[in-house]
Amino acid sequence: MADALPAPGRHDPLRATSPAARTLGRWLPRLAVYGLPAVLILAPLVAFLTTSFWSMADGQVEHAFTLGNYVAFLAQPSYIRVFLGTLQLAGIVAAVGLVFGYIIAYLIWRLEGRIRYFMLLFSVIPLAMNYIVKIYAMRGILGYNGFLNWALVTTGILDAPSKLFLFNQTAVMITMAVIYLPYAILPIFLSLERIPPSLAAASADLGARPGQTFLTVVLPLSLPGSIVGGLFVMVLALGDFLTPQMVGGNQGFTFGRAIWSQFGMAFNWPFGAALAVVLLLAVVAIIGAAALISRHARVK
Amino acid sequence: MTAPERIAIAALWLVAALVFAVLYGPALAVVLSSFFDLKGQSIDWSSFSLHWYAGLTDNPEMLAALGHTLLVAAAAVLMALVLALGLAWYMKTGTRRGRPFVEFVIFLPFVLPGIITGISLLVAFRELGIERSLVTVTIGHTVLVLAIIYRMVTVRLDSLEASQIEASLDLGATGLQTFLFVVLPQLRSAIVTGALLAFTLSFDETLVTFFLVGGDATLPIRLWAMMRVGFTPEVNALVSLVLLATMSLAVLGALSLKDSMAARR
Repeated sequence: MADALPAPGRHDPLRATSPAARTLGRWLPRLAVYGLPAVLILAPLVAFLTTSFWSMADGQVEHAFTLGNYVAFLAQPSYIRVFLGTLQLAGIVAAVGLVFGYIIAYLIWRLEGRIRYFMLLFSVIPLAMNYIVKIYAMRGILGYNGFLNWALVTTGILDAPSKLFLFNQTAVMITMAVIYLPYAILPIFLSLERIPPSLAAASADLGARPGQTFLTVVLPLSLPGSIVGGLFVMVLALGDFLTPQMVGGNQGFTFGRAIWSQFGMAFNWPFGAALAVVLLLAVVAIIGAAALISRHARVK
Repeated sequence: MTAPERIAIAALWLVAALVFAVLYGPALAVVLSSFFDLKGQSIDWSSFSLHWYAGLTDNPEMLAALGHTLLVAAAAVLMALVLALGLAWYMKTGTRRGRPFVEFVIFLPFVLPGIITGISLLVAFRELGIERSLVTVTIGHTVLVLAIIYRMVTVRLDSLEASQIEASLDLGATGLQTFLFVVLPQLRSAIVTGALLAFTLSFDETLVTFFLVGGDATLPIRLWAMMRVGFTPEVNALVSLVLLATMSLAVLGALSLKDSMAARR
């Protein structure tokens, strides 16, 4: 902060106040600035982490340190299987977001003038649609009597409607892909925007065809930022517990749902908190990877 | 462009068109069924009516939920705005060594999955013996949207000429006067943009709200509860109106984002 402004009221001999009031005037803002984020954000996080080391006894939270919740997680292969399955699911959703998000972002990036801005807006508007409504509508589309089956039967791809599109992992994957895809478009578009136009022009001047320029200049330069966009989608998919609950049925059980059930029906908050810490570790690892990728890309 | 490349781009546009159809399809289905009867997969175009919109007033629970959502969003945006402005102004005036740390903390709820933020606040409220209500929901939303408004405000604040503020202070204005009469008017577009985006986010927020909501449901929570039995056509009508409202808000936010970016250049 080399360009910091002078503190207000510093050159202010006319408004001399008592030392006590001045001390208060200096400390009160400082207390608010550091205290409020600490109380509103840090303290709850600490409480959550602490809870994961407590236990349940007779329906009450026992405030005594134990690693029991983590041991219980590691000892149950079913929880680990759900955790790995959810990582895989979120990875697939991220990959779908990356591929289709890239196609859309690239096409918009090539446009010029007003239509470019309009298309960009058009591609992010689905983000403002109500999340529950999107899940509900997707459930209708994927169901036995839904639009997807109707379309597949009408076009002759299927002989009869299939029940395979709803209440399983596939349904969760499709619905999440639809809900989280728009989140990938903007970061990918921004990473394309950061490519200096002179580079593409130089490539063309040196005789590269547009296809060659894309493969050797545009794609390599925009890929790191695009992958970061994909990882962002992965974090969102990883933490979602309502989509799997609404379209996943019994087979579409995810880790987010496992955590959620501990705070609902199972009512074992310490164990739920421990599961959430495991999720948090995965998220921190993903965000760390994204930070590494974007730093690496910037050095070049 | 050679012919194969032109074909490739056309094929990509076809893929994009399909993706857009998939992205807008769900909303379109809801809007259409609020006006028309569905017979199997085909829409009975002759059945157009505004009947379900007129019936909205007979559903007090839905309207109450809508009211709660608007109240929470307005309160959360207001509180986040005051906090963000105070924080941003404090960080701007003087060398603040704690700035990176405070910014890191503010951005945590925005970056972490909603389930983590939700559980954290739930556990904290429980330890403090605070019952879940619209107040706890509002605090959750405030924490969540703080980052957006803070970011919008600091970006604008950092682009202001330091000399303006120095001049104001040299001419005898207090720090508060300088903030209110010199700085605040120039932050207006950033504040409007941040508030619009934050309002849109709060209006739709579901994953954090789920952990913090008490007896008074917000609209997304109410919709979730109703979804288990299936939506009645009047829910489709309400949802269509909500879609229209949030999408207009988002477009307004995007347009003012464009304006405030243009103003900075």
